[in-house]
Amino acid sequence: MKPVTESTPQSPSESQTDKQLIQRVKRGDRSAFDFLVLKYQSRVASIISRYTNDPQDILDLTQETFVKAYRAVERFRGDSAFYTWLYRIAVNTAKNFLESRGRRPRGSMEAEEAERLDSGDWLRDVATPEKLMQREEMYEAMQRAISGLPEELRSALLLREYEGLSYEDIARILECPIGTVRSRIFRARDAVDRELAPMLSAD
Amino acid sequence: MDDRLRETLSAMMDDQADELAVRRLLSRAGEPEVREQWQRWQQLRNLMHDERRDLATVDVSNAVRAAIDADGDLPEREEAGTAASNSARRSLRWSAVAAVSMALLVGFGAGAHWSISDEGRADTLTAGLFADGAGNDEAGSAPKVPEIALQGLDDEQREQMSRYLLEHAQHNSVGMGYGSMGYARVASVSTGLR
Repeated sequence: MKPVTESTPQSPSESQTDKQLIQRVKRGDRSAFDFLVLKYQSRVASIISRYTNDPQDILDLTQETFVKAYRAVERFRGDSAFYTWLYRIAVNTAKNFLESRGRRPRGSMEAEEAERLDSGDWLRDVATPEKLMQREEMYEAMQRAISGLPEELRSALLLREYEGLSYEDIARILECPIGTVRSRIFRARDAVDRELAPMLSAD
Repeated sequence: MDDRLRETLSAMMDDQADELAVRRLLSRAGEPEVREQWQRWQQLRNLMHDERRDLATVDVSNAVRAAIDADGDLPEREEAGTAASNSARRSLRWSAVAAVSMALLVGFGAGAHWSISDEGRADTLTAGLFADGAGNDEAGSAPKVPEIALQGLDDEQREQMSRYLLEHAQHNSVGMGYGSMGYARVASVSTGLR
C-alpha cells in the first residue's frame, strides 16, 4: 500500500482526548499539559516558521505559545478544536514578535491558512545541511521499518496515518474486529518505534 | 509500562481510547516512561508527514514546563475561578456552619433540656467539627476553615440563627417533643436555601 502524503492524518474536528487532557489541565494537572505540548509542538513550530526563519526564534515563540496557552486555558471553552485555538495563539505570538522587531509578517496569514500550506520550502532554508541529512536518514529508516512490517500491521497503520480513517472504518475495510485494528496499529507503532528509537533519542 | 497501557496510549494518539482507559493512563502521565513513549510516537507521526518532517523532533516541552514552573502555580483563569468558587464555598459554608451549630445547640439543649451550660458545650463541639480541615471540600484543597464561635457570628448569621430557633420551636411543637432529629431535618433543608 502506497502512502498518500497529501492527506491529513487527523481530522480537525474536536478531539475527545484533547478535551480530557484540557479538563485535567484546568484541574491543575501539569502532566496533562505536557501531553498536549508533546502532541502539538511540531505543528506549532511549523506554523511559526512561516513568520520567522531564525531557528532560535522558532523555538522561543513555540515555547511562548504554549506558556500563553497554559495561562489562558481556563478561557478555552471548547467552541473550536483545541489545536485551532492553539494555532491562533501561535499566529498572534509570531505576529506580535515581528511587530516588536519592527518587521512586517510575511503576508497576513491566518492560522487555518497557515496550517494548510506546506512549510517545507521555508524550513529547508532554516535547517542546517547536517540536520536535513539526519532527518532524511530518519525518514528513510522509518519507511524501511514500515515496509518490513507484516502486511496486516502495515495496512492498519497506513490506513490510520495516511488516510486518517477511524478504527471502525479500518475494521470494515480489513474485515476484522475493532479490537484487532487497535492491537495491530499498536504493534505496528511499537515495531517502528523500536527501529527508530535510537535515532530519535540521538536527535 | 505494560503492553495494555501502551496500547491505550496508541489508541489515545488516534483519539480512539475510551474515557475510562484515558483516565487510567493519565493518572500515570507523570511517569517518564509514559511521557517518552507518547513523545516518540508523536515524533514518528510527524516524520511520516511531509509538512511536519523538518520539525518532527522539535522539543520545547522541558522549556515550557520550566517557564510555567517559574511563572507560578495555576493558569490565570484557574486562579480567578478558584477564588470565585472559594468565595461561593465560603458563603455556603457559613450557612452550613450556622445550621450545624444550631442543630447541635438545639440537639444538646433545646430538644428537651436546654440550659446555659449546654450552650458552651455545643460551641466547643461545633468548633471541633470544623477546625480539623473542611473534610467535605473537593480534593481537600480548600483553605482551612476558621474556628467558629457563636459570639463571632455577624448580624445576618444571628438573624438566621433566630429563624432556625423559631422554625425549630414550631417543628418541635408539631413533633411532640422529639426536637433534635426534627430540627436537624429543618436545618439541612434550610442550608440549601441560603
